[in-house]
Amino acid sequence: MADTTTTTQASGAAQGAAPGSTGAPAVGKPADRPVKVIGIVCNWCSYAGADTAGVGRFRQPANLRLIRVPCTGRIDPLFALKAFQAGADGVLISGCHPGDCHYSEGNYYARRKFELLERMIHHLGIPEERFKWTWVSASEGQRWQKVVTEFVAGVEKLGPREGRAL
Amino acid sequence: MSRQDHIREFAAKALEEGRVDYFIGWKQGHNSSEAIPAFVKDPAEVDQLVWTPLCANNLVTFIKRNMPEPAGAKVGLCVKGCDSRTLVALLQEELVDREKLYVVGVPCDGIVDRRKLEKMFSSEIVAIEFPEKGKVVVTTRAGETKELAQKDVELMACGVCRYPNPLYSNDTAGPLETEPDREVVKPDWSALEQYENLPDDAKQALLERIYATCIRCFACINVCPVCFCWDKCVNRSRQPELVSQKVEPKENLLFQMVHMFHVAGRCPSCMACDRACPVEIPLGMLHAKMNKEIYDMFGFEPGTKLDEKPVFQVFDLKDHFGD
Repeated sequence: MADTTTTTQASGAAQGAAPGSTGAPAVGKPADRPVKVIGIVCNWCSYAGADTAGVGRFRQPANLRLIRVPCTGRIDPLFALKAFQAGADGVLISGCHPGDCHYSEGNYYARRKFELLERMIHHLGIPEERFKWTWVSASEGQRWQKVVTEFVAGVEKLGPREGRAL
Repeated sequence: MSRQDHIREFAAKALEEGRVDYFIGWKQGHNSSEAIPAFVKDPAEVDQLVWTPLCANNLVTFIKRNMPEPAGAKVGLCVKGCDSRTLVALLQEELVDREKLYVVGVPCDGIVDRRKLEKMFSSEIVAIEFPEKGKVVVTTRAGETKELAQKDVELMACGVCRYPNPLYSNDTAGPLETEPDREVVKPDWSALEQYENLPDDAKQALLERIYATCIRCFACINVCPVCFCWDKCVNRSRQPELVSQKVEPKENLLFQMVHMFHVAGRCPSCMACDRACPVEIPLGMLHAKMNKEIYDMFGFEPGTKLDEKPVFQVFDLKDHFGD
């Protein structure tokens, strides 16, 4: 039984990697691939805002992978660093506007952390186009489209990242 | 009476009167260029305590988060100016019980950088003397004797120190040192400029080279007086796994960033991590940068005021960051 599972997984992986790729992802050389952007968004505003944008059929770049968290106060600055370490080309953080937090004050704490995070990320030699934090509310589908489009365009201009340290 | 005599007297008195179960100070190490922590339980043993410009260790590390053994022990300890800021940072968050502490403040006029000193001589150092204030006389195994100015061999952190006197203490060993006027003398981060002016690619290349050497021995984390999660440390956690055991600069730098972010607002740049690092990674620079930004954002200096809360534990509606 165990053998079958292994074989299935192995062949599945091989099939998954087959079309259009040369096997292992390229490490250390400029990869010709679409950029990957990680978005960390709060459940109550920005995730819903992204939903609004989707329902409104606003065209958005498909490079963004969203991670939904309960509140921006839940976002550990290390999430963004971990994303960069794991190969993300850009990280976008978004939540409720100050004053609109579902938990009253989560984003007040968060914005202090994000400001330090942003400055430290630049200190590590990651260009500022690759990191952004902002506020998008649930009704701001248009704004979400604008934020995402502009951010992804900025990251695309730099291309896939070859991080040497983090 | 020298500061050393004061320390011995305070220690002996506190031990005799039973105000403390033991007293933590410094004693001469096995190596002549090193002073090491001393734990004194018997008033008759206070003579081993010393105070020289080699007493680099931050003894607050031993009391962080109510950790003294046995639990609930009353502890006496010596703090320098920079150490006292870490103690104040712990007190701000009520992570140590000040009723159980007896703090002897030691005004400090600079600590000698042991590594800098050792690198100046090809032969082993057999004796270091401090004949007068500001002078260091080194004798090596080869018989060479050299007199140096203390300013030339002191720690980088001491060169820019604005708090030579302890900010929190029950007793003070001797007269206070002259302090700079802190309204005029603002924190000095000029050591960072060279790195900050590098282009992004050069920064990454430099970090890659520096952090390739990290062996993740946890010395920086264990020695840090304000980093205290112990077995709950996310760096040690496998579930969730933030930092893996993979050996590469990226993981190593992430490991350091965990430490840095977790002590943000509490770390006063005492540079204990810098001194503890066996592969001499300039960790203090990362923390100095963090403190520079925190000062820029909030005008906040960690561990300077007892009634203040660290900036990341509170918020202000008037903050205006972001858009």
